Amino acid sequence: MQTIAATRPAESSVRQTNTVPLRVSNVSKTYLKGTFKSLDNVSFDLHANEITAFVGPSGCGKTTMLRIIAGLEYPSNGGVEAFGKPVRGPGPDRGMIFQAYTSFPWLSAVQNVEYGMRVLGVPKAERQERARDFLKLVHLERFADAYPKSMSGGMKQRVALARTLSQNPNILLMDEPFGALDAQVRWEMQELMIELIEREQKTVVAITHDIEEAIYLADRIIFFTRQPGQIKADISLDFKMGKRYRQKEDLIALPGYGELERRLFAMMREEIKRAD
Amino acid sequence: MMRNIDPHALQGQGAAVSRNPEIQGAPFVLPKERFLELRLQPTASKSVVLGVLGCLLFLGLWEIAHYATPESSRKFMPPVSDVVTALYTLFAERNFLHDVMISCYRVFASFAMASLVAVPLGIVMGCFGNLKALLNPILSGWRYLPAASFIPLLLVWFGPTDSAKIALLFIGVMFFLLTLVLDNTLAVPKEFVEASLTMGASRQEVVRNVVVPAAMPAIFDSMRNMIAVGWTYLVIAEIVGAQDGIGAVMMRAGRFLNVDVIMAAILTIGILGVATDLLFRAAQRFLFPWSIERR
Repeated sequence: MQTIAATRPAESSVRQTNTVPLRVSNVSKTYLKGTFKSLDNVSFDLHANEITAFVGPSGCGKTTMLRIIAGLEYPSNGGVEAFGKPVRGPGPDRGMIFQAYTSFPWLSAVQNVEYGMRVLGVPKAERQERARDFLKLVHLERFADAYPKSMSGGMKQRVALARTLSQNPNILLMDEPFGALDAQVRWEMQELMIELIEREQKTVVAITHDIEEAIYLADRIIFFTRQPGQIKADISLDFKMGKRYRQKEDLIALPGYGELERRLFAMMREEIKRAD
Repeated sequence: MMRNIDPHALQGQGAAVSRNPEIQGAPFVLPKERFLELRLQPTASKSVVLGVLGCLLFLGLWEIAHYATPESSRKFMPPVSDVVTALYTLFAERNFLHDVMISCYRVFASFAMASLVAVPLGIVMGCFGNLKALLNPILSGWRYLPAASFIPLLLVWFGPTDSAKIALLFIGVMFFLLTLVLDNTLAVPKEFVEASLTMGASRQEVVRNVVVPAAMPAIFDSMRNMIAVGWTYLVIAEIVGAQDGIGAVMMRAGRFLNVDVIMAAILTIGILGVATDLLFRAAQRFLFPWSIERR
């Protein structure tokens, strides 16, 4: 028994050099010539095909962490590796969905989706066909030729989602993607996310303020402390027993749901108080 | 008194009253529309009527001004009819169309040149911070130099030629346009750029296929505003050493105190300016139907 326990981590770490979708090692980020510490020595691995939620109070550095993973910012210390290769800038292997609407207003829905594939050099005929498929995936096939101007916020986000998914990224990064949406649309988008990720098998990181959203979407929650941002807790949502629930009410009925929610709220309160 | 009434009883009574078909509340009457209604957008046809009304109001004031001027100096304040007659005579007998075409050529040629420089330069300065830091201090300062002060210099360099006039208009428009285009480019949401980068786009791809289309409607707006400035500089450019053009016609008329001709020429520039503006707006609607409707 002991020998197995001793050999296992070594074994898996050898295997992991190529299969860990993302490894964050000792990442620190300081601003204003080192006087403001946004992230302090953060390390974690993402697991393949797992949805991880970054949760924490405002200003805890979770957005900075996501942007460093995306390659849009650089760590002051430490580094990020995607499938064993150091991250040196943004790239289509790490697709990103922003809180602000990023569907391009000068392109129709289908042209927006095509844009992502065009950047990757997919031939025209192929990308036109696939763009329609991805629009269908986000239930926008009827609006293929509509422009973002005439779309609701939720529809614009779905266009951005289809555009990113059409690039088939290894990792999907989401920065409060539903933060600007109203409660009902947010709920629809969350259900759509579960549906999409079940189908597309993606490793996902989603930032959220919303504890309920985190529990609903995530298989794992990384809770950040505020200033400097460190990992306060790394919680595996075992109460879901490896399943994802499309319907929120089924999830809430599970034993362990209330306890986890209570714990997260208590942690959030603790962090907000601590910084005051 | 009120305290003695049971609120529930009152409620019941109210319900009973409203259910009685014979006793109806007063019919709903739309509030009377006021002329100065806050944020009211008049219908298209009403806008036209109001616009025409505004013009008539102006012409009426003009006519009154003519009759209010003392008899002795009335010829310096001719009535509308005289100016219209002068305009007709200009076109019919003095080949004014030639001058108008020359002036149009100067405005459009100089504007095209200014745009060819300012738009690409403003865009790349907006995209690349180092280029902005390098060029902006020296280029933005030019805006504060009055274009008219270049007239002597341009006369020395080019003589009383077309080039001198076009160069003056170019200076008057280019540096302002450049600053506006730079601002328009900086106003492109950074998320558009970042989204494109995370999709694996190259810098060239981002500039050409994200920043340019995103900024274009606003840049076009800036161009529309700056061509109006071009028209206002025209007369200054044509005052000195010009044989033809609307400005030259005005200067000659001024020498002979032909106020009706001066006014006719001013009116012509105004009409041309408005026409250019409408042309730009139409082009804008045609080129950028996706962009958010402004104004």
